[in-house]
Amino acid sequence: MTDKTSDKSNYKSGSKNDVQQGTLALMILKTLDSMGALHGYGIARRIEQTSGNLLSLNYGTLYPALLKLEQEGYIASEWGVSTNNRKAKYYKLTRAGRRQLEREAQEWEQTAAIVARFLSPEGERT
Amino acid sequence: MRALRAWLSRFGGLFGRQRRDRELADEMESHLQMHIEDNLARGMTTAEARRQALIKLGGVEQTKESYRERRGLPFLDTLLQDIRFALRMLRKSPGFAAVAVLTLALGIGANTAIFSVVNAVLLKPLSYKDASRLVVVWENNPHHVAIHNVVSPPNFLDWRAENRVFQDMAYLADTRANLTGGDAPEQVDVQNVSANFFDVLGVKLALGHAFTAVNGRQGNDNVIVLSDRLWRDRFASDPAVVGKSIELNGKSNTIVGVAPRGFDLFIAEGSLTGAHPQLWAPFVFPPEFHDRAKVGRFFTVLARLKFGVSLMQAQTQMNVISSGLAEKYPQYDANWGATVTPLREEISGAIRPALLILFGAVGFVLIIACANVSSLQLSRAAGRKREMAVRVALGASRWRIARQLLTESVLLAATGGGLGIFLAIWGTNALLQKSPQNLLNLSSVSADPRVLAFAMGVTLFAACLFGFLPSYSTAYSQIASSLKESGRTASASEHSRTIRSALVISEIALALILLAGSALLVQSFVRLIRVNPGFDAGHLLTFKLSLPASKYKHDAACIAFYGAFLDKLRQIPGVRSVSDENLPPFSGFALMGVATGVVLPGKEALPVSERPTTAVRVVGSEYFRTMGIPLVGGRTFQPAELSTAKHVVIVNETFAKEYFPRTNPIGQKITIDMKDQNVPSEIVGVVGDVHGSDLSAAPWPTTYWPYPELAYSGMTVVVRTRVPPLSIVPAVRDALSSLDKDEPIANVATMDQLISNSVARSRFAMFLLAVLAALSLVLAAIGIYGVMSYAVAQRTNEIGIRMALGAQRGDVLRLVVGQGARLALIGVLIGAVGAFALTQLMRTLLFEVSPSDPWTFADVAILLTIVALAASYIPARRAMEVDPMVALRYE
Repeated sequence: MTDKTSDKSNYKSGSKNDVQQGTLALMILKTLDSMGALHGYGIARRIEQTSGNLLSLNYGTLYPALLKLEQEGYIASEWGVSTNNRKAKYYKLTRAGRRQLEREAQEWEQTAAIVARFLSPEGERT
Repeated sequence: MRALRAWLSRFGGLFGRQRRDRELADEMESHLQMHIEDNLARGMTTAEARRQALIKLGGVEQTKESYRERRGLPFLDTLLQDIRFALRMLRKSPGFAAVAVLTLALGIGANTAIFSVVNAVLLKPLSYKDASRLVVVWENNPHHVAIHNVVSPPNFLDWRAENRVFQDMAYLADTRANLTGGDAPEQVDVQNVSANFFDVLGVKLALGHAFTAVNGRQGNDNVIVLSDRLWRDRFASDPAVVGKSIELNGKSNTIVGVAPRGFDLFIAEGSLTGAHPQLWAPFVFPPEFHDRAKVGRFFTVLARLKFGVSLMQAQTQMNVISSGLAEKYPQYDANWGATVTPLREEISGAIRPALLILFGAVGFVLIIACANVSSLQLSRAAGRKREMAVRVALGASRWRIARQLLTESVLLAATGGGLGIFLAIWGTNALLQKSPQNLLNLSSVSADPRVLAFAMGVTLFAACLFGFLPSYSTAYSQIASSLKESGRTASASEHSRTIRSALVISEIALALILLAGSALLVQSFVRLIRVNPGFDAGHLLTFKLSLPASKYKHDAACIAFYGAFLDKLRQIPGVRSVSDENLPPFSGFALMGVATGVVLPGKEALPVSERPTTAVRVVGSEYFRTMGIPLVGGRTFQPAELSTAKHVVIVNETFAKEYFPRTNPIGQKITIDMKDQNVPSEIVGVVGDVHGSDLSAAPWPTTYWPYPELAYSGMTVVVRTRVPPLSIVPAVRDALSSLDKDEPIANVATMDQLISNSVARSRFAMFLLAVLAALSLVLAAIGIYGVMSYAVAQRTNEIGIRMALGAQRGDVLRLVVGQGARLALIGVLIGAVGAFALTQLMRTLLFEVSPSDPWTFADVAILLTIVALAASYIPARRAMEVDPMVALRYE
């Protein structure tokens, strides 16, 4: 019960809890950008690897996020066959998704830069 | 944009659920399998590989659930589910659903109906440009009967010249004229207006153009504008009518335009004919209208406020101007002030109090209806307690359950509301078709956005009011404990019983208020129609006749015509006697000619503006005999006095009492300001008082003059018949055309009809309020019956035990009826207090009944108590029939 409610608030768009969600979306977009079409499991593994295993991802949270991106038109999906000859749903970036990635990456860098300046003692003085 | 797209996609997610669920399951499955394979490759055992994969995923079902929530719109999903469920529940109890929907349809329908009228009459902006800036300016004089007096033309001119608050001012005066040429001659109601009349109102004509400034000059005024109705009826909607000529009172006039459909400015207070205009003609001031000594007061003045000028500012300036005039012309204008009123108030002012009271009453009916449905819902909710408890135990939140109950209520209310709106619009229009003319100045109502918004608001209000209570009660009573309680015998929780008692008490209180209000109206109506009009109204035919001045140029011609005509009428079989009068009672000339200055003996020196006033009536031969007005003193007119002016007059009792309190009026000489030469006339008789236009108003001091004294061209003929009055109308027409085939008769009616019309508004208000009160009584009775039946059903067990222990049937009866009586008495007491406060608002609608009339209150209280007792007697009978053995064994 409690899990469910916390999930729900995570996926609500526009609320404060979105940082996590937004970040996850950005990671998915970037992963698909660099790897091409990939299934859910592959995306999850790739994100973990890229983060140097610093990030412990609950794989279950990935699917609603994928669905949201698909609903927004940033990614598209189709069924395909995996390397192990297993049927899997493959996701790939759309053109809108690529633009969104650029935009979000830029925003993220800006935010990160600003926060970094705040956190560095010199930045505070200037 | 993205959000919208996502939303649409989610909306789509509501459908094709099974296919999507299957796909999701497949995706999860392939995810797990890939993960397990990886784990196996890392050397885990099969079981461990699967376990780790599941942990990492966070549970298959949980993932699916959060995925589903993202997929569709969970809110809408549950709503649809709730609606489906509610429909199923309602189908399972069709009796409840039907009663609830009908009750609500009645409540909501009645509210919407009254609101649609309130909207059309009081709220909707008038259909003129910037209508809120239109005002009517009256004169007023504290010594006169009418608060709003028509205006004298010279004063109008000075007002127009001196004011700085009005953009423009127009005048109008209703009159009648004979329309000849073409088919049968016809009397038409003409509004004589200033040339700028249509411009001040901002009305664009449907055809042709409005009057121009040129038409306001002497010699250029032979033009007219037709009303849409007259254009259709008399000119067969001829699109080329503009430019054609018609004959009015024997004079040729050019049609310059046709007014738009529905355009009709009728200001009853100032109307000289009491009839809506059929055509408009410019009225140019003759030279003598600039002379206060030669002209009286008869204009209705319409003005448009300058932009940004308030009513208060206009009133302030008019006060200054009129006090200036009073100083300048003390002889004519002393004591006269000016009043500015919004046009909207003029048009709907009279009906406003009745309408607002009906609106309040109908609101009460709705609350009673809601209370009933609420009480029904509560009974159902009690019956469904176990169902709810099971659902709570299975994990439904209280909010979820309350929401479902609310959905049911909204569904019921919406069904009832839809039905109600339909009933309201259809019913109101049917009623308006049948209601007496001029009752509301309204021919139809429409479901405009405001009415629909109101109806929806009322529906939601109803849904919340009766849906909230049971939901609240269910959610907060001990749901969980009802699983433990044995469901059948558990007495209804104390909480819900209190709510139900409160509901019944408030129903009874509200019903009492409505009953008291309508009883007061019924009483005043009965007293009103019992008022003796002062004459014998049975078997009296009246109709109007108006001789064109072009053909009947001199008084002598008029006198000769009417003399001959009345003589011809006397020969019609079935006619007892015949006479005529200029303004007979109840003919619609509300306050016309009631305030003419009169010069009394010994008071000749008073200036015109301070003279006492009298109603002036001009009568033909045998008038008092024909009308059945009793002679109180002196004599009636002699034949010689009715063929030439002999300077005699007859006054009514009120006149005699007010102006000759200590002397005998007979033989005294008086004169009125209306006559060309003020020759003092001798009072030769005193007759009984007659109610002029309104049974509820006190009679005015009145003088009756023989026809030759003031030979008007327009008169109303009164015929006393032996046979049904309307049966002689063809003979009357024949008699007339044998004298002058061009003259039409108009406003043919019996006096009974006219009197009945004069009380139509009171009757209508009384009727509607009585219907609402009866409705509330029935609903309250149903309410108390429902509550008592439920209470008896709940207490069957207890009653069985009591009887087994020796209680008699009478004790049981007392127990149940006593409970009902207690509720009824509390309701009656609360209602009496409320009624006492609220009926004060009805004061203006009542006639000779005090708004807190103790007998009325006692009567309705007794009536309501009896009904309440009867309603609880039926369940009590059922309780008496309880067989103790059966009741106990049932346990």
